[in-house]
Amino acid sequence: MVSKTVKVINPQGLHMRPAQLFVAEMGKYDSTVTIIFGEKTINAKSIMNLMASCIKMDSEIEIRCEGAQEAEALDAAVKLVESGLGDL
Amino acid sequence: MVLKGINASDGVGLGCAVCVREESLDYSDVPYSGKEAEKARLQNAIDEFNQRTAAMADRIREQTGPKEAEILTGQITMLADPFMLSQMQEAIDGGSCAEGAADAVCTMYADMFAGVDDELMRQRATDVRDIRARLLSILMGVTGIDLSALPAGTILVAHDLTPSMTVGLNKENVAGIITETGGRTSHSAILARALQLPAVLSIAKALELIKDGDGLIVDGGEGVVVLSPDARTRSEYLAKQKDYQEKTAALEVYRDKPTADADGKYYHLYANIGSAAEAEAAAQSGAEGIGLFRTEFLFMDRTSLPDETVQYEAYYAVSKTMAGKEVIIRTLDVGGDKAIDYLGLEKEENPFLGHRAIRYCLDRPELYKVQLRALLRAGAEEQNIKIMLPLVTCVEEVRAARELLEQCKKELAESGVPYDKDIALGAMIETPAAALIADLLAQECDFFSIGTNDLTQYTMAVDRGNAKVEKLYSPFQPAVLRSIRNVISAAKRAGIPVGMCGEAAADPGLIPLLMCWGLDEFSVSSASVLATRAQIHRWHEKDFRRITDEALGLSTASGVEGYLKATVNK
Repeated sequence: MVSKTVKVINPQGLHMRPAQLFVAEMGKYDSTVTIIFGEKTINAKSIMNLMASCIKMDSEIEIRCEGAQEAEALDAAVKLVESGLGDL
Repeated sequence: MVLKGINASDGVGLGCAVCVREESLDYSDVPYSGKEAEKARLQNAIDEFNQRTAAMADRIREQTGPKEAEILTGQITMLADPFMLSQMQEAIDGGSCAEGAADAVCTMYADMFAGVDDELMRQRATDVRDIRARLLSILMGVTGIDLSALPAGTILVAHDLTPSMTVGLNKENVAGIITETGGRTSHSAILARALQLPAVLSIAKALELIKDGDGLIVDGGEGVVVLSPDARTRSEYLAKQKDYQEKTAALEVYRDKPTADADGKYYHLYANIGSAAEAEAAAQSGAEGIGLFRTEFLFMDRTSLPDETVQYEAYYAVSKTMAGKEVIIRTLDVGGDKAIDYLGLEKEENPFLGHRAIRYCLDRPELYKVQLRALLRAGAEEQNIKIMLPLVTCVEEVRAARELLEQCKKELAESGVPYDKDIALGAMIETPAAALIADLLAQECDFFSIGTNDLTQYTMAVDRGNAKVEKLYSPFQPAVLRSIRNVISAAKRAGIPVGMCGEAAADPGLIPLLMCWGLDEFSVSSASVLATRAQIHRWHEKDFRRITDEALGLSTASGVEGYLKATVNK
C-alpha cells in the first residue's frame, strides 16, 4: 500500500464537478483508492460517497492506494488534487 | 356542468383537457421475479433513465443554457456510481424487486446528503430524490406528460402550477389553466398572468371531475369553468372570447401615450417581472420601467446557489433591456411558500412569520453579499438599478443591509471592479410594522414601494392561500387603505419617491385613491399596463379627490369596494 497526504485547494471543496473528474480518473486504475478524511474512510471510486463526505477547501486528506498500479494511481490522484481538479 | 373557482387570470379559453396527475409510485404489488430478472429490469431502467435524461439535458441546453443542463448530466454521473449500483444489486439479492432496491438505495443516499452540514452538498439530496422518482416511474411504466409537446387547444388541469412545470410549457398550444389550489395572488395565478393565459384556480377535485380529452371552457375573468359544454354554451363563450379580444385591442391606443391624468399630471407606470426573460415582454407592454423584479426565480429550479456571475448576468440583462428606465430589483425573498431545498431553511410552524426574506439574508451575510455585489456591478453601466429590501419591519434591518452594501462597495473598489456608487436602496413596505413607522424608515431609505399583497395579508392576519378565509383578504379593507395612505404621506413628507408593486396598483377602483394620495409610481403585471394607463387617463383631480373622500367615509370593505366599483364603472 502507498499513501500520501495532500491539501484540497478548490474554493468549493470536492463538489460535483471536481468529484466527477477525480472518480473518472481513478476508475482507470486497478488498485483500490481510499481517502482518509478526519474520521471518515471513503471509497474514492464512488462519487456519491466522495460528495457526501463534504471535503472542503483547505482540508488535509490522505489518499491510500492498494493493489496493481498503486504507485501510478497515487501519483495521478495527488497531481489531480494539487492542480485544483479543474476548478482553478 | 359549471364549476366555480377563483378568477386568477383574465381571458376566455376553449379546448380539451390534459390532466397532470400526481403519479403513484407505490410498488407494493410488484412481484419478485428472481435475482437475474430483477437485475436485468434494473439495468434496463437505468439505461432508459440515462437516455431520457441526456435528451432532456440537450433540450434544456438549447432552450435555457449549459448551467441548467449540467444539473441533469450530473444526475447521470451520480447514477453511474458503481457502488450505488452494487448496493442496489445487493438489495435485489436480498429479495427486493428492482423498484424496492432503487427506492431503498436512493432514499439512503438522499438522507445522507440531506444530513450533511455543507449547504452545497445538501442540495444533492434533491437530485437523488429526483433520480429515485424518475427511476421508479420508468420501472413501473408510469409516463409523465411532456408539457413542451401539448396538442393545440389544451386546457391544462393540475393540482398546482409550479415554476418548474412552466419552464418547458409550450404556451402557444395552451388555451387555459385550471388548478385545484391557489388564490388570486398564488404563484399559479402570477404565472398564468405572466403567460397571459386564462386561468381559474381552486376548483376542488378538478382532477377527479375532469378526464383527459373532456371539452372545457375556462373563463378566467369570472372564475368559471364549464365542463363538457353544449353547442349553445360554446357559441356564447366564443362570442365572449371575441369581445374580450376586442377590448384588449381597444387598449392599444394607450401604448404610446404618456401616463398622465386628465389634468396632465404625470405618473410612472412600471411592470412587475419574475425573470430576466420577462423584461422584454415588459418593455413591449408599454411599461416605463420595472417596479419589481423578483429574484427568487434565479434561486429556484436549481440545486445550488446561483453564483455572482449568474446573478450579475440576469440583473445586467434586465438593466440593458430597460436602458434609460428604472429597474427596481428586490433581493431574495424566500421562506413560507417559497422554500428552496439547498438554502437549508428549516421547516417552521409559521413560515410567514418566520425566518424569511431580509431576516434570513441578514443572518447569511456571505450569501447576501453575493447578491448585493452582483447588483452593484450590474448597475455600473446604465446606473438604472435600485435595490429593494423585502419584509422590512424595523430601522435596524435597513441599516444592516446598508452596511453590507457599503462593505461590498469597498471590496469592489479595492479590486478595481466597476459598480454603481450611487445605487439607491429602498424598502418594500409590506408589513403593518413598516407602515406604522414609515416616517422613521423614510429617513433611512431612498425610496419606498408598497407591496399590497403581503401588506393585506399581514394587516388582516389572513393566509391568502386559504380559501376559507380569503374573503377577509381584500385591499378595500379600511385598515389596509389607511396603512397605504400613511405610507404614501410619510414618503411625501420625507421627499422620497413611493410606488406600489402589488395587485392593488392595477385595480381600477383603487387607482383614484392612490392618485389622490400622491403615489408616484404604479407597478403592475405586463398584461395590465395598458388598462392601468387608460384608468389613470380618466381622472381629473377634482374627481379623484371626491371619490377618495366618499370611499374613506365608508366603514366596511364591501361598502368601499361596492362604492368604488359602481363609481369607476359609470
